[in-house]
Amino acid sequence: MGAMDSVQGDSGGATGAQALYFDGLSNTRRPVTIAFSDQLDIRQDGSIVARWAYSDIRRSDSPAGILRVACLSAPPLARLEIRDATLAAKLASRSTELDAHHLGRRGVARIVGWSLAAAISIIVVVLFGVPLAADRLAPLVPKALERRIGDAAEAQIKGLFGAKVCGDREGQAAFSTLVNRLHAAAGFDGPLESAVLSTSVPNAFALPGGKVFLLKGLLEKAESPDEIAGVLAHELGHVKHHDNMRALIHNGGTSFLVGLLFGDITGSGALIFASRSLVEASYSREAEEGADTFAIEVMRALGRSPKPMAELMFRVTGKEGSGFTILSSHPLTEDRLARMGKEERPVTGAPLLTAEEWKALKAICGSAAKT
Amino acid sequence: MDQMSFIPQVPPPLPPAQVSFTGERGEFRSMVTKGAALELVTFGFYRFWLATDIRRHLWANTSLDGDSAEYTGRGKELFIGFLVALAILLPIYLAYFLITIEAERLQELASIPLFLAFYAFGQFAIYRARRYRLTRTIWRGVRFWMDGSGWAYAGRAMLWGLLLVVTLGLALPWREAALERYKMQHSHYGNLQGKFDGRGWEFFKNAWWLWLLSPIALLVFPALPFLYAEFKAREWRWWLSGIRFGGVRLESTLPSTAFYGVYWSVIGWSMLFSMIFGAYTGACTGLVASISGVSFEQVIGPNSQTSIPLLVLIGIGYLGLALALSTVMRVYLQRDLWTVVLASANVHGIEAAANVRAGGELASALGEGFADGLDVAGF
Ligand SMILES: [Zn+2]
Repeated sequence: MGAMDSVQGDSGGATGAQALYFDGLSNTRRPVTIAFSDQLDIRQDGSIVARWAYSDIRRSDSPAGILRVACLSAPPLARLEIRDATLAAKLASRSTELDAHHLGRRGVARIVGWSLAAAISIIVVVLFGVPLAADRLAPLVPKALERRIGDAAEAQIKGLFGAKVCGDREGQAAFSTLVNRLHAAAGFDGPLESAVLSTSVPNAFALPGGKVFLLKGLLEKAESPDEIAGVLAHELGHVKHHDNMRALIHNGGTSFLVGLLFGDITGSGALIFASRSLVEASYSREAEEGADTFAIEVMRALGRSPKPMAELMFRVTGKEGSGFTILSSHPLTEDRLARMGKEERPVTGAPLLTAEEWKALKAICGSAAKT
Repeated sequence: MDQMSFIPQVPPPLPPAQVSFTGERGEFRSMVTKGAALELVTFGFYRFWLATDIRRHLWANTSLDGDSAEYTGRGKELFIGFLVALAILLPIYLAYFLITIEAERLQELASIPLFLAFYAFGQFAIYRARRYRLTRTIWRGVRFWMDGSGWAYAGRAMLWGLLLVVTLGLALPWREAALERYKMQHSHYGNLQGKFDGRGWEFFKNAWWLWLLSPIALLVFPALPFLYAEFKAREWRWWLSGIRFGGVRLESTLPSTAFYGVYWSVIGWSMLFSMIFGAYTGACTGLVASISGVSFEQVIGPNSQTSIPLLVLIGIGYLGLALALSTVMRVYLQRDLWTVVLASANVHGIEAAANVRAGGELASALGEGFADGLDVAGF
């Protein structure tokens, strides 16, 4: 009883305002006195304006030297401000839950823990879930949509290279013969569109919706029909495996998920880019190996060797050295050459093109194709 | 009584209310350094809590007429807002992708309107994010709040943006004035309605020559920070001086050279840290080369055999650089800039803000979530 009385006596006896009170309904600055009874009594001009239970009192943000508190059972914006240090300490000692709602070390540790869990689950999804989803979803993509994406990509690529379709009639006939034989040996139905494009870039590619393009630059470097056949079989492998759609889903999913991490950290762009490239490169390397496997099977079915294709690649890219392969998106040509060499079997089938047809194919883009 | 008391007394004009900032710089610095480290550890997820801590610090230490403000937003709200925004944005992104394919197929430039749609969405996010921040701002137990429509704002921003492009940027002052008028008209402090009195013409008069000089500044490196600092200072002064809440009038005396120090400090620190990072990368490369016994050219040459330990070392250095730079940016561009601006501010007619009745609803943090998801920032 004594302690309580003396505290009350303290404040009751003081005449000047000890605190400022804002009732949360208007912004009127109300000079008040406070008294510590079984609750906190807030008085203005002698009459009680509010009574706050100590366990409901919470600290609000304030500059140094001011204790600002709110009360759970009062209007949410009602505030009491105490600028006197000893009085503030007295209130703080009674309000046991004063800092209960603050984040504190435990709260931060919880955020860190959950973030790590989220990050790990995102990484697991990127490494395992996204490839799985890509593999499962790619065959389910409606053919019409796949074709549209292919058309859009074709228009863009043709514009990029400024390339035209090579239209020499005899050359085209030879090209169709080759493609049809591969198509039949590959044993898959579905439309296939193929053409030679007149650009000196030595490459070949497949687009969604069954489009296969051979670029003039690669044709010029080729020395036998088997070399070109192997490359086309490889591209057919990409078509058969829906690799474009798989890559699209995979890269889209990876970009989105990796983008969830890091947020606005300065320079996070580079981090995001690096981790994305790493994941995507390894995924496309797998796709390339799968297409190689497919090419080997097709060439075998035709009774031809897959090795010339690797030799052509080697001629184009040259020796690449035994480098760091995590970042490269395709198997090293040496590794390919070694693999194709291992898969080599004696040739049993008839040549895929006659000498005349081969000559016509080489000249499909006009006189420049002469070697 | 003498006759003096019969003469109606004209009260002397009240001095402008005091605006001050009392936060410790060291406290802020250690807060953002720790926050940046936590951001790295949490793969960026801590950003919501750090942004909240920064605002709480700035608000609580800013006092007007003797009473400091308070920021009642919380990191968790921002995080949830981000998740909800994500759930809404994901299907939109997918639809965007599909429509782009269709459009590209028809014509190469046909996808531009879609880009514009995203721009509009970004403007909407800016409006809603401001609304969130305003409704979390408390002064004397009464909150600020905002009504109006984010889409109406986005529409205005788009039209003015078009004009901006057509006039090569000359319409900027009028665009800012119009958009700010919309935002301020819909801003309230309790039952006091906001208003923006700034005129595009005033801003233009003040800054048109910067527009003329901008092509030169893009070519001559040291000119650009000066020009930008001049522009920003004039913009802030004009903006602050146009703000009204009922009879309360803001005014700013910000000198146009006010931001030189802030910007050059950021540039200086960034250059220093980048140089340290460069030296560190060089040292690591040399170290790895000497340990693994390959020649220097083999490590960095065109046919380099990139080694994993080197990548890891550089990655660590890079994270350190990111940490240092983000701390510098926050200290100078958020805290110091704020204190410079506040020091220039005067508030007239604060007595009009006595006995304001509380009002307004809390807004959700969805807008901030969109702003985060779309990577837009605004004010
Ligand atoms: Zn391939």
